[in-house]
Amino acid sequence: MPSAIPINGHRTPPRGTGVVKFTNCLLVKGDKLVEDDLWISSVSGKIINGQEILYEHRAAPDEVIDLGGRVLAPGFIDVQLNGAYGFDFSVIPEDESVGYGKGVSRVNRSLITTGVTSYLPTLTSQRPEVYETALPFLGPSGTLRDPNKGSESLGAHCEGPFISPKQNGIHNISVLRTASSGIADLATCYGASNLDPNSPSPIKLVTLAPELDGALSCISSLTSLGMSVSIGHSDASYETARTAIKAGATMITHLFNAMKPLHHRNPGIFGLLGTTSSQIDKPYFGIIADGIHLHPTSIQIAYNAHPSGLILVTDAMRLSGLPDGTYDWTNGSRIVKNGPLLTLEENGKIAGSSIQLVDCVTNFMNWTGASVAQAIGAVTETPARMLGMENVKGSLKEGADADLVVLDLQNAAEGTEKKLVVDQVWKFGVKVFEKV
Amino acid sequence: MQPSIGVQDSALTSCRRLIIRDDAQNASKYIADYIIGTNALHVPQEPTSTNTESQERINTFDPSPEKPFVLGLPTGTSPVLVYENLVQRYKAGDISFRNVITFNMDEYVGISREHPESYHSFMYKHFFSHVDVDPANINILNGNAPDLEAECHEYEEKIKKAGGIELFLGGIGPDGHIAFNEPGSSLKSRTRVKTLAYDTIIANSRFFGNDLSQVPRMALTVGVGTVLDAREVVIIITGAHKALALQKCIEGGVNHMWTLSSLQLHPHPMIVVDEDATLELQVKTVKYFKSIERVAEESGFRQMFPKKRDSLVEDQILLTPTPQANGAKLDVPKIDISRSSSPVLEAMSSRISDSQNTLDANDDPQLLSMSARVSN
Repeated sequence: MPSAIPINGHRTPPRGTGVVKFTNCLLVKGDKLVEDDLWISSVSGKIINGQEILYEHRAAPDEVIDLGGRVLAPGFIDVQLNGAYGFDFSVIPEDESVGYGKGVSRVNRSLITTGVTSYLPTLTSQRPEVYETALPFLGPSGTLRDPNKGSESLGAHCEGPFISPKQNGIHNISVLRTASSGIADLATCYGASNLDPNSPSPIKLVTLAPELDGALSCISSLTSLGMSVSIGHSDASYETARTAIKAGATMITHLFNAMKPLHHRNPGIFGLLGTTSSQIDKPYFGIIADGIHLHPTSIQIAYNAHPSGLILVTDAMRLSGLPDGTYDWTNGSRIVKNGPLLTLEENGKIAGSSIQLVDCVTNFMNWTGASVAQAIGAVTETPARMLGMENVKGSLKEGADADLVVLDLQNAAEGTEKKLVVDQVWKFGVKVFEKV
Repeated sequence: MQPSIGVQDSALTSCRRLIIRDDAQNASKYIADYIIGTNALHVPQEPTSTNTESQERINTFDPSPEKPFVLGLPTGTSPVLVYENLVQRYKAGDISFRNVITFNMDEYVGISREHPESYHSFMYKHFFSHVDVDPANINILNGNAPDLEAECHEYEEKIKKAGGIELFLGGIGPDGHIAFNEPGSSLKSRTRVKTLAYDTIIANSRFFGNDLSQVPRMALTVGVGTVLDAREVVIIITGAHKALALQKCIEGGVNHMWTLSSLQLHPHPMIVVDEDATLELQVKTVKYFKSIERVAEESGFRQMFPKKRDSLVEDQILLTPTPQANGAKLDVPKIDISRSSSPVLEAMSSRISDSQNTLDANDDPQLLSMSARVSN
């Protein structure tokens, strides 16, 4: 038997079982915060069943962590992140692969301190050579389960270039493509080896415009390859969008942005959230809750229409955290950064955001009246469900990865507004960040 | 000599303690404080103190790995508040359960350990997951053991090996049962497989989606004799629905239809109740027990455990003869069915024949007759 001397009734760490128990915390369970303990294993990096540890393995926790009533949530998932900390996933540096790999590693290690423990590195519309160099570095990176590697890629998000020239946003119109030959055209662009049914692909999610020639057949081909398809940067009518859902698309990329607005006689892509069709499921939809891309009321309407489909995304790019000024972007364009507002120099269009995901959660909570747990669900359980990973990520269920954030729920200075602050981040059962 | 000893002996307060508190919360707190002690851990005791310290059971006992405190534990709604208080005190740093060995009273047969209604789950949820009891020191009967008989036998052996139970905490059912010793159980019974009474199954069905077929029909339970062997027995009884049971167990005679009444044979029992549970008691009884507590307090001591008891040896003298001498007067089953080979042990029919002899003393119309319980 261990002969550890109890200090204040608790054992001294570590050695032995690697079992960590969080206590005096509020766990995110469904729509509610529940006062309960959470047991994890720093050996397996997973959430474990404390009762089984106690009775079956006759083991006590090596470490008991008193969170002082704070919120303990699954690590956040951002399914649309273009870059951060000065690195843009869509820009191949001069030293090509070497510099690119280092850049991705740097983003991963920094990003995790914001509570984002896994994400989809997102490529905007690019020429084939960019995909060829970038994709090998953007595939799922968690196989080694190394907490020191920082945030984990769950696979790349290819946003374009098979999108509508009418809804290109800031994507360079000259690189956009069509897919009249179906999946073969996608293979030409993304690389045949990245769409090979016999080997795992680095791509997890593809945003495309379903009205493009050949796009519908691509949707079914991609889903059969195990990827998810999102409708975005699209001029599609409601009817076309519905056909895309029938073909297997499950998401809408940054709802309201880069698509036709709701018209009462043609509801467009947004209309999918109000569908009464028994043949299709309402799709998930990304929401950029940065106070610039969307009016809070628009978010509220979308949330009311389909609460379990709302996924908060940052759509952040590499300039977040950098000083104001004008910066080179891809394909010869330049972006003006003025505070949190990013615009394309040549036409003043909104060019992504520089917000952190936790602040999106805070905004969403305050704007919609969603509960803390519901707001957190929009960056944990919902994106995990969209990716088909709900038993592994975004969950506090037994067997899920012990990717966790400890959140301090603060009352903002004025009024009844609340604010969530990331105090600690755990990756694969190991604490990797603590706010000082 | 110390005056407290003399007063105690003459008033017999140490032998029969009924503590009445205003409500369930206060009754539960009393028990938790009693088990732990009102003073914080590590506070040195004054050697000749006559105040409360001598009745702080665990902290006074000063358990160590070589000399652990052996605690018997119940499940059920009444004890939930006691556990809440114990956990609170643990978190405040007043108590460590590090050197406490626990034995639970009972467990259902045939539901998984992880089942939300299993007593393993109950104990995990309300107590073990929150405190520092060494998992190796936790003992709960395994209702899925391949050989249930052997499991029960080994449980008794384990208790013996641990040095016997120092304090057995318990609750009762509305029919006065302690652990799963349903009405009609032998008062000398040991740990065994038990068929649940029909009204217990009905009562428990609320935990199983009101589906009678989902309620386990058997359980493993310590026997009445196992509980009585503990050096001290502390029982919590709260709520008006248990008032009749309390009345039968205190004011009635020793009777196997109200198995807790066997506590009258125990040298150091303590029953802690709320006001609601006293509804069926005579005013005289309530006043008497309240006066004992008051006089004791005015005299500068509370109703204490007679002295610090660290060894088993002295208890053997006290405990062994008492229940046996009284057992002769009772109509207890002659066959030691607790060790019979069949897991379905005490058939309802055997209970009926027992009851013929014991019920005549009981003309209380509220007492259900056994035949009524069978036919339902």
